[in-house]
Amino acid sequence: MIVAATYDLFGFVSENWEPLLRGLGRTVKVSAIAIFGALVIGIVFGAARAHRIPILGQVAAAYVELIRNTPILVQIFFLYFGLGQFESTRLDVFTIAWLSVMVWGGAFNTENFRAGFEAVPYGFREAGLALGFTRFRTFLSVTLPIGGRIALPSSINTYIAVFKNTALLYVIAYEELTTTAFQIQALTLETLEAWTVLGLVYLTLVWTLSALIRLLESRLALPEAA
Amino acid sequence: MPEWAEPVARYLLEQGLVGTLRIAAVSLALSTAIGVTLGTLLTIRFAPSRALIRLYIEVWRGLPIIVTLFIVYFGAPAISLRFEMDPFTAGTVTLTLWGSAQIAEATRGAVQSISRAQHEAASALGFGWVGRHVSVILPQAARRLLPPLVSLLIGIVLNTTLIGIIGGAELLEAAERMVEVVNAPEPAGFGDRGEFPIYAGVMLVFFLICFPLTRLAAYLERRLV
Repeated sequence: MIVAATYDLFGFVSENWEPLLRGLGRTVKVSAIAIFGALVIGIVFGAARAHRIPILGQVAAAYVELIRNTPILVQIFFLYFGLGQFESTRLDVFTIAWLSVMVWGGAFNTENFRAGFEAVPYGFREAGLALGFTRFRTFLSVTLPIGGRIALPSSINTYIAVFKNTALLYVIAYEELTTTAFQIQALTLETLEAWTVLGLVYLTLVWTLSALIRLLESRLALPEAA
Repeated sequence: MPEWAEPVARYLLEQGLVGTLRIAAVSLALSTAIGVTLGTLLTIRFAPSRALIRLYIEVWRGLPIIVTLFIVYFGAPAISLRFEMDPFTAGTVTLTLWGSAQIAEATRGAVQSISRAQHEAASALGFGWVGRHVSVILPQAARRLLPPLVSLLIGIVLNTTLIGIIGGAELLEAAERMVEVVNAPEPAGFGDRGEFPIYAGVMLVFFLICFPLTRLAAYLERRLV
């Protein structure tokens, strides 16, 4: 009970806010890069899957199944240690940090967008083609805006998961929020304070993003669905 | 094939995979029991209990699982040494907190999807709240719970790897140990490099377990809902 008796959350924050903020900054930076990458991967591979584009569609399917059915932690280990075995494929920690969560998010996003694009009624695309649009133009002007909206809530859920998964970068000692909090409590022994702050920061951000989804969902919902 | 391939593979499967499956089985059972109970209680229109269960769900679903693991394994013993746990227990508690939150949410939806008439019919037959739910509502809701339960099993199997971080015996931890052995110079080790093949092998093992399960989840989704 001795440790708990000295519990001082305010003191902990006022002494350690600088490294914590820097850690949070890295968490946000890696998340932002990964989320943007996952968005691009999701749209391209999702379209390839939905429109059964030869080769690219199969590659996308294999990629999705491999990533979804293996632990992200093992993926990180594979990128860091596995590829690190060879001089030519060795990557630095920051690259592995954003790459690993991006590859993971991209796989889930491919499924989100595939489902979204497939939900666009065939008649809409037919109408686009009948107006003389090329297939690519039809995709850009018809399938993407409608299917993208359908995929939006589930894809934001994936982005929240990407953000949460950056905490796993602790295992490669990339100094994001979780690693920073871990290092501070290892030095100061203020274990409870460190986990309280860590938990509160993650919950605040995750809950805010979830609330945003609900807001977006009601704002961007397709007219007929509303 | 290098000479270490066979003993390493044997160790990974006999020590690592067995540990992974043991943690997964216990966590799945506990998550289901707690999750179904909380999810059913969540359908009662009583604000305080609803708020508490909602908080439980949102907290354990909102936190990255690794943070929950640190809170359970390092944080709880700082409150009282009575909460000190071995990695297996801490891992099981962590996965159960996360898993039960997922199942509670799914159960709420499943229970609410059962028509009002079923509740009324059960009440008319003289069932109390508990009997009505256990004997009439939950058996019907179970159909809808099957796909999320299979998804939960996949999620739990994948997330058991986190327990290796705190030194619990599971597949990834076993792989780390084997990489050390293979990379150590002779005569203690094999004086080779094992990272690439061993972590690729671990990925393959997880894939072979989870791929059929995701297929099953997709099939159940189509058939049952």
